[in-house]
Amino acid sequence: MNIFNLSSGLRTVFLVMIGIGVLCLGITFMTDDALHSRFWSNMLHNSVFFTGMAIMASFFIAAALLAYGGWYVAFKRVFEAVTAFLPYGLGLIAIIGIGNYLHLHHLYHWTDAKAVAEDPILLGKSGFLNSNMFMILTVVFGGAYVFLINKIKSLSVAEDSAGFDSTFSLNSKQRYWAAILLPVIGFTSVILIWQWIMSIDAHWYSTMFAWYTLASWFVSVVCFIILTLLYLRSNGYYQNLNQHHIHDMGKLLFAFSVFWTYLWFSQFMLIWYANVGEETIYFKERYDNYPVLFFANIAVNFVLPFIVLLRNDTKRKVGTLSFVAIVVFIFHWVDFFLMIKPGVLHTAHEALGHADHGAADASHDHAHAAEHVSSIVSGFTFPGLLELGTMLGFLGFFCLIVFNALGKHALTPKNDPYLEESLHHHV
Amino acid sequence: MAVASHKEIIYGLYDDEQDLLKAVKKANESHLDIMDVYSPFPVHGLDPLLGLEESRLHIAGFVYGMIGFLTAFLGMSWVFTKDWPIIFGGKPYWSVPAFIPIVFEMTVLFAAIGMVVSFYIVCGLGPGVTNAYLDDRITDDKFCIAFNKAEVSESAAEAFFKSSGASEVSHKII
Repeated sequence: MNIFNLSSGLRTVFLVMIGIGVLCLGITFMTDDALHSRFWSNMLHNSVFFTGMAIMASFFIAAALLAYGGWYVAFKRVFEAVTAFLPYGLGLIAIIGIGNYLHLHHLYHWTDAKAVAEDPILLGKSGFLNSNMFMILTVVFGGAYVFLINKIKSLSVAEDSAGFDSTFSLNSKQRYWAAILLPVIGFTSVILIWQWIMSIDAHWYSTMFAWYTLASWFVSVVCFIILTLLYLRSNGYYQNLNQHHIHDMGKLLFAFSVFWTYLWFSQFMLIWYANVGEETIYFKERYDNYPVLFFANIAVNFVLPFIVLLRNDTKRKVGTLSFVAIVVFIFHWVDFFLMIKPGVLHTAHEALGHADHGAADASHDHAHAAEHVSSIVSGFTFPGLLELGTMLGFLGFFCLIVFNALGKHALTPKNDPYLEESLHHHV
Repeated sequence: MAVASHKEIIYGLYDDEQDLLKAVKKANESHLDIMDVYSPFPVHGLDPLLGLEESRLHIAGFVYGMIGFLTAFLGMSWVFTKDWPIIFGGKPYWSVPAFIPIVFEMTVLFAAIGMVVSFYIVCGLGPGVTNAYLDDRITDDKFCIAFNKAEVSESAAEAFFKSSGASEVSHKII
């Protein structure tokens, strides 16, 4: 069974998930405040989370090609399939970008021309934080990722039918494109993260933030691929994978969970130590109003994978590994919730609480007062059922695209120079 | 592996690790008790054939790491709250986030040094220690299977080396 067949049962499951998601988005839209901030922040949250996973899968392929990595080649089609979501995810973010022009939403404070004119900080950033830049950078950088990863994928697929070639020219061409893709993603994804996520807290900035977000994406995509591989293997596909492949994916999950923690802590500690008000507000907001999620985030995304996956055998056992992968996947989604919701909530309170932006101070006070009154608000200070339903919908959409792409080509590639090495992988 | 002195050894050298793996399998099948196998580098798949258990060094490493963690954390907590409290940057005396980098470093340091020392002790290595060895080339390009003549008869061992493709067979008392 080297060709994956998306069974109609599984397709139905994904379609039902999408249905739940659309339903939840609809309910959110109906019951939302006047700015529809809950609806739009859920859209942004999930679009960014799943698009980032596709970006990091592309990044992994490029990095592994350039490092002459062999171990993952037997199942490289799974990574390639995840990148198939990239154009769809960028399309979802482009909807947010169009919303900036039409003022459909109030996610970003810098789209409010009046606020920008009165606020010297926003005015100073307005050369970078404006609707045109958001759209142009998303399309240009995202388009570059799609173009480059499609080059690599088409060469990788061409290898299957090309027959044996002693110079491995198709493989070295993939490496050529990977050498372009790697720095392009490495440098430009940071800029996209500033635009997409960090600019929600438009006054705030952190140089660690983009790295931290990238690590969160990477852990999520590793979780997703572990679960996909275990699912495929239990359904009779990928019988050529041995426990060492799974072990290595478990190591990636372990290592990048620690890496994520390192970046989370580095960002936190520098801000905590320097104690500059305009930086500290980011953590103060989350510490005061989101204490459960704030500490659960670090406990689940660091302590759980660290303690459970520290041993050799827990990275190989299906039960422990898939348990950690599921929980960590959900909590990295929560991590993005924590990045996005507080800022959106604050901006919405500011816009709703003070119709004319005459007195900035007064509106600030009002915004803070509103946050304190509503200490736990489902959908804002805690993910409610509608958020989980929306996440299911996006996950269904993501899986549908990925599994569709997976079915198009042989699961285990042929004629890749590293295939034999991968099939005999031993750690 | 430390070798106790005055053993009569018969050993065969192989040119390739694949030959070595086949030979070890063959020795297992014919119930010849291998004293030890020497190789210039770790050979994949050899440990289960020899029936070696998983090393417990990493468990020791975890314990050393925990000792380092507690030493640093409790030590700093004591120093900065009881022994010599100083206010740094307007922070509380017991400011845990500031301890974490040092706690991390001490954990790594204790685990690393502890594991190196444990490894040296277990293997009988260390400064000034001379260990008996069978052949110079087992650290370079030869793979060696050794039998203790007290356990395996010389004729059986020789027949085994001949049939399994050893390039040389020698005797040594160590």
